[in-house]
Amino acid sequence: MGGDNELLLGGADHPEAIAARAIDDVMRIERKYSRYRDDSVTTAINRAAGGDPVAIDAETAALLDYAQTCHQQSGGRFDLTSGVLRTVWDFNRNPPARPDAAALRAARECIGWHDVEWDARRIRLPRAGMQVDFGGIGKEYAADRVASIAADAGARHGCVNLGGDVRVWGGRPDGSAWRVGIRHPRAPDAAMAGVDLHDGAVATSGDYERFVDIDGRRYCHVIDALTGEPVDAWRSISVAAPLAIVAGSYATIAMLLAGDAGPFIDRAALRWLGVDADGAVHGTIE
Amino acid sequence: MRRILIVALAIACAGCATVTPVKPWEKGELARPSMQFDNDRLEAKYTEHIYQSKEMASGGHGVGGGGCGCN
Amino acid sequence: MAATEAKSAAINPLLAAALALPGILPAAALAQSMPDQGIFSVNYLDYRDWQPGADRMSVKSPSFYVLAPFADKWTFEGSVVYDAMSGASPLYFNTLSGASGTGITEYRTAGDAKVTRYFDRYSIGVGGAYSHERDYISRAGSLDVRWWTADHNTTFAFGFAGNADYIHPADRELDNGRRHTLDFLAGVTQNLSPVDIVQSNITYSTGHGYYSDPYKLLDTRPDERRIWAWLTRYNHRFVQPDATLQLGYRYLNDSFGGDSHAFDVAWVQSLPGNVTLTPSFRYYTQGAADFFFGPPFPQGFQFGQSFTADTRLSAFGAMTAGIKVAKVFADGWGINLSFDFYRQRSGWRAFGAGSDGIEAFSARWINAGVSKAF
Repeated sequence: MGGDNELLLGGADHPEAIAARAIDDVMRIERKYSRYRDDSVTTAINRAAGGDPVAIDAETAALLDYAQTCHQQSGGRFDLTSGVLRTVWDFNRNPPARPDAAALRAARECIGWHDVEWDARRIRLPRAGMQVDFGGIGKEYAADRVASIAADAGARHGCVNLGGDVRVWGGRPDGSAWRVGIRHPRAPDAAMAGVDLHDGAVATSGDYERFVDIDGRRYCHVIDALTGEPVDAWRSISVAAPLAIVAGSYATIAMLLAGDAGPFIDRAALRWLGVDADGAVHGTIE
Repeated sequence: MRRILIVALAIACAGCATVTPVKPWEKGELARPSMQFDNDRLEAKYTEHIYQSKEMASGGHGVGGGGCGCN
Repeated sequence: MAATEAKSAAINPLLAAALALPGILPAAALAQSMPDQGIFSVNYLDYRDWQPGADRMSVKSPSFYVLAPFADKWTFEGSVVYDAMSGASPLYFNTLSGASGTGITEYRTAGDAKVTRYFDRYSIGVGGAYSHERDYISRAGSLDVRWWTADHNTTFAFGFAGNADYIHPADRELDNGRRHTLDFLAGVTQNLSPVDIVQSNITYSTGHGYYSDPYKLLDTRPDERRIWAWLTRYNHRFVQPDATLQLGYRYLNDSFGGDSHAFDVAWVQSLPGNVTLTPSFRYYTQGAADFFFGPPFPQGFQFGQSFTADTRLSAFGAMTAGIKVAKVFADGWGINLSFDFYRQRSGWRAFGAGSDGIEAFSARWINAGVSKAF
C-alpha cells in the first residue's frame, strides 16, 4: 500500500492501543488480498483459474457481491477481472509505449466478470489466465474497517487517510467538522477544494497516480474493461459519501462513465468534484 | 374520553408503520442530545416537580417518581 | 452527517451493497438503545414565588444525578435531591398564613434509583424512590419495559409504578393519612426521518387515600382520584441553522374535575464553541376542580362534601418563559445555566372562564449545573 497514510483518534483514553488494533486489520486485509503474496486469497483464486472452485469466506463473498454491484452500476466497465490489463499496460516500461495489439487482444480474452462462477462459499474463474484484483476496492474497505474498529473500541472521533482516501467520524474532538482537502490533479501539493464532514468519506480517482504520457497523451491506470483502454475524459473525480468504499467506487465508476459521470453521481445524491480533460471543474462541491 | 385516548395511541402506532425507515448511517442528527427526549433527566425532574406543586395536573412523562407534600 | 449526505439505498445501490460487508459500520451505529456513556451531574436550583404585595415560598435545592453503564449490558441511574423550603403558603386563596407571612421552614430529602438490563431487542428496568420530609413520607417502586424494532426506529415503552404515601402533619393527628397510587404508562417513540422524531405517551393513574391539604384552613378532597394524560412530543432538526425545534402537548383529564392542556416549545440553537442557547415557552391552562369554590371564603362549603379553596385547583392559565445556556467541553465536562419566569392568572385560561377573584401568582427559578460524561 503506497502513498501517505495517517490515523488521528480522539475521545479515547488509550488511543495507541486502539490504533494498533485498527492498523492490524489494515495489514490483515492487505495480506489477505495481495496479488504478490503466495498465501493470499487472491493468489489462491487466480492460481486455480481454469480449474477447480476455490473456497471463500464471508468477507470475500461480501466483497465479491459488492464488486458485482459495481459491475452493474458501471454498465460492465468496472470489472474485478480487468486487472490482467495491468500486464500489457506497463507504466514502468522505458521508453513508454502502447501495448502490442495482439497482446492487448489476448489480455482482453481473459476479462469477463459475467463468466465468473461464484456464490457465498466458492469462486471459480473459468479460463486459465483470468485473475481477480481487489486493488480497486481493498484500500477503501480497509479505511472503513479502521473507522469501525476504532469507534467500537471507544475512539469517538477520528480521521483515517489511506493513500489519499479519507474516512472521518465523530467530528473533531472540539465539536467542529473535519475538513478534508481535495488535491488538484495537476498540482498535487495544492488543495483545490475542501469538504466539511462530521461523518463520512472522501475518495478520489485520478489520472495522476499511475500513468504514462505517450506522444502528449496521458494513459492512466483506470482502464475500461469493455474497451481495454485507459479512460481519458477526466483528470480526477472526488466523491463524498457515508463510507470510503462507496466514495471510492463512485469516483472510479464515474471516471469510467466519462460524459455520464455527473448524472451518475447526482442520481445517488452524493457530492462530487471533477476536473475534466480540458481542466474545467465540475461538480457540487464548492 | 378514554376511548379517544386509546384511539389516539393506536393511530400513532399505525402511523409509524407507514413511515420510511431511517437507515443506520442517517442517524447522525437523531443522535444529538437535543433530539433525544430523555436527555436532561435532572432538569426534567425539577421542572415536573415545580409544575406539579403549583398546578393541579401531573402526569404523562414517566412513572415511578416519589411524591411530596408540596405547598 | 449532513442531511445532504444521508440517502436511502433505493437511489444509492452501492451503499446498500457496502452495508453487507462485515464490520463496515461500528456496532454503535446499529445498536443504539443502550447508552454507551455514563454521566454525572450536579445542579443547584434557586426558586422563589410571590403574589401581589407578598413573597411566598423560597426553595434552595441542590441535586445530584448519575447514569452509569456497567457489566456490558446494565445501567444504573440514580438521583438525590435536597430541598430547603421556607416562606409562607396560603391558608385559603391568597391569604397567607402567619401575621407577617413569614411561614415555615421545611426540608425534604428524596432519592431514586433504577437498574436496567438491556437485551438485544428489549430492556427491563426496576426502580425505587423515597422522599422524606417532616410531615410526609413517600415510597415508590416501578417497572419499566421497552422493546424496539430491529432497525431501532420504533421503541415501545410500558411502565408501571406503585406509590405509598404517609402524611402526618406536625400539628395534629390524622387517622387516615395514607395514600396509595398505581400508575401505568404506554408509549411509543418513532424516528420519522433523519431529522424528525416523535414520542407519544398515555398515562393512567388511580389512587385512593388522603388527598386533602392539612395546612389549609378548610380543605376536604375526595378520597379517590383517577388521572388520564396524553403527552406528545416532537423534535425537528434544522441542519443548516444548526438548531433543533422541540414541541410538546399534553392533555390531561382529572377525576377531581379539571381538564388541562399544556403546550411547550423550545428552540435549541447551537453556537460556536460548543455552546447551545435555548429559549423556551410554555402555556398551560386548567379548569377548576369540581369542589373548588371561589371567594368569599368559605362560601360553597357543605358538611360531608368535598371543598377546597386552594388556588392550585382553580381555573387559570399560566405561562412560562425561559432561557438556558449550556457549554460542552471536549473532555466531557459541561456547564449550564437557566432562568425561568412563571405567572399564573385566572384571566389567561383558555377554553373557559377563569376563577373569579383569585390574584395572580408568579414564580422564578434559576438553575446552575455541572456535568461530566465518563
